[in-house]
Amino acid sequence: MNMANSFLGGAQDRLLPASIPFRFFLAAALFHVLAWAILFVGAEEVASFRGGPGKTLAAIHLVTLGVLTMAAMGASYQLLPVVTRRPLARDGPARLSFWLMVPGIVILTLGMGLATPSTMLVGAALVCGGLLLFLVLTADNLRRASSLPVVSTHGWLALVSLVILATLGILLIVDFESGFLDSHSDLALIHMIIGSFGFMGFLVLGLSLVLVPMFALSQSPSRTPGWLQAALTSLMLACISGAIFFEILSLFWISATLAIIAACCYLWLMRSALASRMRKRLGLSFVLIRASWAMMVLALALGVAWLADAPLPNAPTLTGFVILVGWLLTFLFGILQRIMPFLASMHAADKSGRPQLLSELTPENPLKVHLICHFTAILMCVTGIVINESLVLQGGAVFGLIGAVAFLTFATRVTLKLRHGK
Amino acid sequence: MIRDAPGTCWQADDGLHINTRGLAPPDPMIAILWRIEQPDQNGPIIAHFDRNPVHLFVELEERGWSHDYLNNDLGEVRLLLRKQT
Repeated sequence: MNMANSFLGGAQDRLLPASIPFRFFLAAALFHVLAWAILFVGAEEVASFRGGPGKTLAAIHLVTLGVLTMAAMGASYQLLPVVTRRPLARDGPARLSFWLMVPGIVILTLGMGLATPSTMLVGAALVCGGLLLFLVLTADNLRRASSLPVVSTHGWLALVSLVILATLGILLIVDFESGFLDSHSDLALIHMIIGSFGFMGFLVLGLSLVLVPMFALSQSPSRTPGWLQAALTSLMLACISGAIFFEILSLFWISATLAIIAACCYLWLMRSALASRMRKRLGLSFVLIRASWAMMVLALALGVAWLADAPLPNAPTLTGFVILVGWLLTFLFGILQRIMPFLASMHAADKSGRPQLLSELTPENPLKVHLICHFTAILMCVTGIVINESLVLQGGAVFGLIGAVAFLTFATRVTLKLRHGK
Repeated sequence: MIRDAPGTCWQADDGLHINTRGLAPPDPMIAILWRIEQPDQNGPIIAHFDRNPVHLFVELEERGWSHDYLNNDLGEVRLLLRKQT
């Protein structure tokens, strides 16, 4: 081994083994397929869904836990050590968290689909075990991080949200059997808001501050709006939880105002990053990322319209769908299609130590199919929810399913290239 | 567009030195890429980092630049960057 190789060996040693993030990404891509399949089967109950066990709840959790959380875990394990400049303490717990999450999600969503709370509890226990490992590993990494305080703070807030989210989730499942809660639907709504704007929201807001400038090649954004978006989002979550629990209308409006200002801070930061970018052609991934920002604004607008009692058919389902699929899933797939070839390139360096070119590792055709099908699915599902027509929803689910299979093809091909490149 | 790249630089006998130490990600990468994309910049460049810039290598490769390690100690990594002919 020559000098360059030995140094590169050192570099690769500091990277998490590729198998760890990639197993999470592949699992996320597979759960994505399952989520659309379940939505297709349960399309009749989607538009009128207001909570409770069934296929819709199962599909929602395949998206939130199976796709969003699994991908977030894989990305966090790989990226947080890079961002915080501190290596992950151990690989073993990260692998174990995967083996707890996968069966946990399958059993939990099966229990939801079949409406059997005891099965749900078994699945939830496994999922909580996996999430606990993720929480401990990430907290340990953030605790040792001194650089990037804004990003680290977003990470801490995401972890706090995760604890609240998981606790509420367990309470809700227990309540399906025992019915001890007076306000099941209120807690379910808080659970959904903390999950999407708290746990996932803080990860999106925080990691965007590093990933968007990294992909677009621009300088790291200024800190003040970053602190502001974190503070406002935290305050918004506290206010809206209080508003739902104590039924205080004015707090709802304060929450909506805080959310809009936080979103403005975030969008201003992202606009600044893109305005000063060195990379001219951002590619398909940024079509998705930009669309996700538009969907985030749409979701907030729908939330406000719902609050104002605007004549919006199936407003709760519509808002939830736009948040989960429109904003979060769209953003995630935009990021994932950049991260996966990027990581594969670093890991699959050839014997001379030269990384493979990204273009060689990015199969474009499956991504084009995914993009077209993903947007068509969103459009058709939104229409189906508004007009309460399950056939349109099923059509949307078919497009979603084709898009999901295309993305799984992309993820598999990148992984295979990584394996062959080593 | 970025008007002035992050980090500091100085010309020495062995090439252009770029110090990115103390910068938060992704600024070390931007500091290097911005300077190698300047007209008439053919290197060699000696780049100083706090840690191994694993994300940079792909971008260098795409721009036709090679990298060699001059130093890879804990706390400081120095790379020699050259434009591939």
